[in-house]
Amino acid sequence: MDAQLRRGVLDVCVLVAIKNKDSYGYKIIKDLKPVLELSESTLYTILKRLEEGNMLVVRSVEFEGRLRKYYHITRRGLERIEEFKEELTELMKVYSFIAEERVL
Amino acid sequence: MKKEEFLRELRRNLAGLPKDEIDNRVDFYAEMIEDRIDEGLEEEEAVAQIGSVDDIVNDIAKDTHIVKLIKEKVKPKRQIKTWEIVLLVLGFPLWFPLAVTGILLCAVGYLLIWIFDIAAYAIECAFGASFIAGLIAFFAAYSDGVTNYLPLGIAVASLGGVFAFYNVCVVMTKGTFRVSKRIVTKIKAKIIKKGSN
Repeated sequence: MDAQLRRGVLDVCVLVAIKNKDSYGYKIIKDLKPVLELSESTLYTILKRLEEGNMLVVRSVEFEGRLRKYYHITRRGLERIEEFKEELTELMKVYSFIAEERVL
Repeated sequence: MKKEEFLRELRRNLAGLPKDEIDNRVDFYAEMIEDRIDEGLEEEEAVAQIGSVDDIVNDIAKDTHIVKLIKEKVKPKRQIKTWEIVLLVLGFPLWFPLAVTGILLCAVGYLLIWIFDIAAYAIECAFGASFIAGLIAFFAAYSDGVTNYLPLGIAVASLGGVFAFYNVCVVMTKGTFRVSKRIVTKIKAKIIKKGSN
């Protein structure tokens, strides 16, 4: 997949993974496993990028005597998911055009 | 490998990154390993699932811009003292030419990677020029009432060369792009590791 497109898709996947409930690194990787294989270093980069883009906030929570980082989606993050869905509708039109090879 | 050993190794191999980023990354991997252990994995197994330190460094190298890495590398770790500034100014005639030479050497090195591509494009241009020259020669002679098919033949053959060699150029350029990207990633990984190996 084209690097730019892949990055956009991965970002939104991670946002969706934390949308309904705050989540932590390992859980995000496990939750996304059925759809895509994500390495730790890739996830780190995505989380960092989303944090810098104000799409999520990080907070450390004590868990069994150690700190665990939880990621919480922001309003901007929720907006990004919706934006992406709209972009996807556009993209699906193009996709069906390509798939059907239907020339108007 | 035990968790502590892995994290120590990781920290040592990230020495070229900013301090807070090293801490963040090491914490991140520590949490990843601990979560796996909590899930019932043996410590060694959990560490093995994370992958090798080299792979991690490589991934980081791919994701980090070289400018950021170099900035971190040349950033003074402490305040520069007055006598050091004086020395820098006085030493300017010495270090400046050296710096320029260094930069030029790097540029030449990079150009060397592209040398075969440049040669391929030169041949492509030569075929093109030969095609045009052949046509001109043919029509010039033709307008003088002489029909000489040799230049026309050369023109047609050259046109074939243009088409055939175009693909060679494209394939070579793509290959060189890939190779130079890999070299840059290697250099970046070296900077991140900061001579820890």
